[in-house]
Amino acid sequence: MEIKAFLQEVTTRRGLPGDEGPVAQWVAERFSEYCDEVRVDAMHSVVGRIKGEGPRLAFVAHLDEVGLMVTNIEEDGSLRLGQVGGIDPRILPGMRLKVFGLETLPGIVGAKAPHLLSQEERSKAQTLGDMYVDLGLAPDKVKELVRVGDQVQLEQRFVDLKNGRVASKTLDDRCCVAILYRAMQLLEGLKHQADLYFIASSQEEVGGRGAMTSAFHTEPDMAMVLDVGFAHQPGCDREVTRNLDAPLNTVGPYLNPVLTKKLEDIAKQIKVSLQKEVAPRGTGTDTDEVSASRSGVPSVLIGVPVRNMHTAVEVLDLSALEEAARLVAHFAAAARTAWEEELWN
Amino acid sequence: MLRDTLKTLLAAYGPTGSEHAVAEAVKGLLEGHVDSMRTDNMGNLIVEKFGTDPEGRRIMFSAHMDHIGLVVTHIEKEGFLRVSNVGGISPAYAWRRKVVFENGIPGVCVVEPGPKGGGQPGLEHLFIDIGAQSREEAEKLVQIGDIAVYAPDFIPLGKHRIAAPAMDDRCACALLVEMLLYAEDQKNTVVGVFSTQEEVGLRGAGVAAFNIQPDVGLALDVTAWGDTPEVKYPAVKLGEGPAVKIMDRSMIASPKVRDALFEAARAAGVQVQREVLAFGGTDGGAIQQSRGGVPTGTLSIPCRYVHSAVETIDMRDMEGALKVLLQFIDLV
Amino acid sequence: MELRTLTDAFGPSGYENPVRALIRKAAEKRCDDVSVDRMGNLICRKPGRDRTKPAVAVAAHMDEIGFIITGYTDDGLLRFRPIGGIDPRVVVSKWLSIGEEGLPGVIGAPPIHLQSAEERGQVLGFNKLYIDIGAKDQKEAEGLAPLGSYAVFDTPYMEFGEGFVAAKALDDRIGCFNLLKLLEEEYDSDLICVFVTQEEVGLRGSQTAAFALEAEIAVVLEGTAANDLGDVEERFHVCTPGEGVCVSFMDRASIADRELFRAMLELAKAQGIPAQVKRGITGGNDAASFQRSGRGMRTVVLSVPCRYIHSANNVAKWSDIRAQADLARAFLKSL
Repeated sequence: MEIKAFLQEVTTRRGLPGDEGPVAQWVAERFSEYCDEVRVDAMHSVVGRIKGEGPRLAFVAHLDEVGLMVTNIEEDGSLRLGQVGGIDPRILPGMRLKVFGLETLPGIVGAKAPHLLSQEERSKAQTLGDMYVDLGLAPDKVKELVRVGDQVQLEQRFVDLKNGRVASKTLDDRCCVAILYRAMQLLEGLKHQADLYFIASSQEEVGGRGAMTSAFHTEPDMAMVLDVGFAHQPGCDREVTRNLDAPLNTVGPYLNPVLTKKLEDIAKQIKVSLQKEVAPRGTGTDTDEVSASRSGVPSVLIGVPVRNMHTAVEVLDLSALEEAARLVAHFAAAARTAWEEELWN
Repeated sequence: MLRDTLKTLLAAYGPTGSEHAVAEAVKGLLEGHVDSMRTDNMGNLIVEKFGTDPEGRRIMFSAHMDHIGLVVTHIEKEGFLRVSNVGGISPAYAWRRKVVFENGIPGVCVVEPGPKGGGQPGLEHLFIDIGAQSREEAEKLVQIGDIAVYAPDFIPLGKHRIAAPAMDDRCACALLVEMLLYAEDQKNTVVGVFSTQEEVGLRGAGVAAFNIQPDVGLALDVTAWGDTPEVKYPAVKLGEGPAVKIMDRSMIASPKVRDALFEAARAAGVQVQREVLAFGGTDGGAIQQSRGGVPTGTLSIPCRYVHSAVETIDMRDMEGALKVLLQFIDLV
Repeated sequence: MELRTLTDAFGPSGYENPVRALIRKAAEKRCDDVSVDRMGNLICRKPGRDRTKPAVAVAAHMDEIGFIITGYTDDGLLRFRPIGGIDPRVVVSKWLSIGEEGLPGVIGAPPIHLQSAEERGQVLGFNKLYIDIGAKDQKEAEGLAPLGSYAVFDTPYMEFGEGFVAAKALDDRIGCFNLLKLLEEEYDSDLICVFVTQEEVGLRGSQTAAFALEAEIAVVLEGTAANDLGDVEERFHVCTPGEGVCVSFMDRASIADRELFRAMLELAKAQGIPAQVKRGITGGNDAASFQRSGRGMRTVVLSVPCRYIHSANNVAKWSDIRAQADLARAFLKSL
């Protein structure tokens, strides 16, 4: 399927950290269209392999979405929420949610009505504790259908904006899973030596856990991690944000400089514009866990910029996705065992 | 009996990093009833009870032996002991409590005078008074590096409840001991790990899991409470059954294991609660993320006033948990 | 006319054209005398069977809260301000429809990763929020959404729970919905149905409409804020969805005519129409204009309890919506 259609589908599939079953299942089916072997491991990470002699090269993008969980049911039937992954509570008032109880139930997030608040209260952002979910059901019915621990998903819409830009939830990081899929398609027209492992990792949003365990059992020699970066938007330091319309690559202590140079050379050759980002320490992505797996895995990190990360209206530019996919495919095709000798002087 | 085992284990001295006395107590209770016992480099006590099915699963159960304490960092000229924390002990809870060192020396914990300008006192405002009148006198009794714990106690409350220091996590150790004693003819192999250093980052369990390479993991620990006037989260109540953990900071319970616990509870006729903890973790986190990942869950005992000297549980939740565990073994 | 059709219609205060056109078409099927005045109010006059009875005006407002484009950034984002009283906190991470053609836009927020704990604790005011339509630069943005363009929340109508509806603009398309229903019947009294503009920006349509009306009594059909969920103390609930149409004794803009207030409650009781008293004096509405503009009228307000009023997702219960129509109809028939 086409990358945009893949993206539209994959962002609707449920996959909160810890229970990525539904989205993992769907991604595994798509990967098996191009991979020789596909498995879903104990942590719900999906690993698709396109066989080769070597080196073992892993590509990692995470498939979990930030979400919420029911932490209590009030006497009046309203639900209280806890976070699963980092959500800014400020996006919630007036938002629709889906509560996965014994049935899937639509709900609305409420908070104290503004004109019933004092001036002082109105000037402070509401916390998650101030908010609740209204299911439109009597309390007895709520208790019958919903339990503490039930998952809650943010409202899903996929909106076409101008200039090939789209707005959706969970572009972080399913747009990079889409890049992997597109790269698999492009690889059909290229020769490669490397033994390729495409990993859609779980539980990144709660600490890179799926990446850590899947890297352990995949044992790659080298890795490329894909995650979204920050696009220019008001209120954010332009030193750390980039343009929407081209992919990113990251440099810094956690990334291997020699491998990164090879990446940049390949990008130049195939005319992919890369915007460079700097990570002085941890990258805040699966790279942190993958690069330290077992005895270490030299890694590079690429991605695409998005606006409004971790809201229901993340925005990206589809052309950046396509360019990133070209880079992934050509990097996979170029990888050689001989690279491993050059990594450290 | 569960209550007697609990009483025995609560009395043992075992702050994080010095769990050997607890391990000895456990060994004493299990000797002759299990197929193997060994201690690893982290001090974890690992016991096995083989299953009847050679193709059966190996399930690692983990309960931690350590509990929080105060470590002596400096002895004042006048004989007062300055301390730092071992695990999550807070001055608010430790103040005015009786504490005791490994060699039996007792002391009292004092906060004085408190931070300037108000606010909560920090550890730097705390000291232990052991009645010594000078540094020299104190040094005959304790050394820098010695660890004090809340003095052991056992306070029955009402018909069903008990308050004591170290309920976290000796009550789970007691459960694990009883489970190992009662499990019979099970198909799957039970590996019971009495782990160390949970309170400083799930350290013992992580190493144990790496070595044991279990097929399934289950941590046993206390969870907080939600049934006193001001405290509502997590939404669990004492006396309403053990809690199946959905999520905490260290782990999101693997759905397979979580659901097996619900099934075990149904089969055993035990009412269970559901627990979502916004903070805190258990050995489950370390087991789940070891090597290539292990399906793992946690069964929790609701406990009020966690990390204080009066941690309070309900024995009905303990009895229920034991029944659930015995059913659980062959359900995964 | 379905409620869904009314809530889907575009009609922020100051640009009610599309929703007025929709209502006009429906009104003309039910009434011979339909006109639009100089403020854009839609006025429908239905003569009664007994001209000796007092004339009654029944009013609802057509306009909804929305937004207006006030500027642009170099990156092609739109700057905007609210139309009507909108708490900026409900606007973050939402979807908008710009202009009648419905150009899609989203209101984003700076990622939490790039915000300090202190910044996250602050409200994102309208001066810190932007609409993204995907434009690449200011020039393109201006071409697509000229200065002064109007926008509304883009909210699909949804029925959910047990008898609840979630949509935008339930305040006050519910009133419009019920007002059209009243027009379907015959009454002894002269009936003047007034679909009013610009309520949300200062009761402006009703002010001018009331000035010229020849009625002695005005009944206003509205939506009012319910605060009954989320473990809120009962004394702050104001009203409860499911307990019927809400009759007010007083709000910040007007005090109800005592007799009309009592009459409504007695009528409801006698006819078994679920009704409640609004337990608070918050808010203000067109009743103020009808009461005090021109010659003045006796007024009373019948409201449907709405949760999350003035947000993207208003919630009300169908049984209350029906009760509002039933009580208004019963009142007209009782005169």
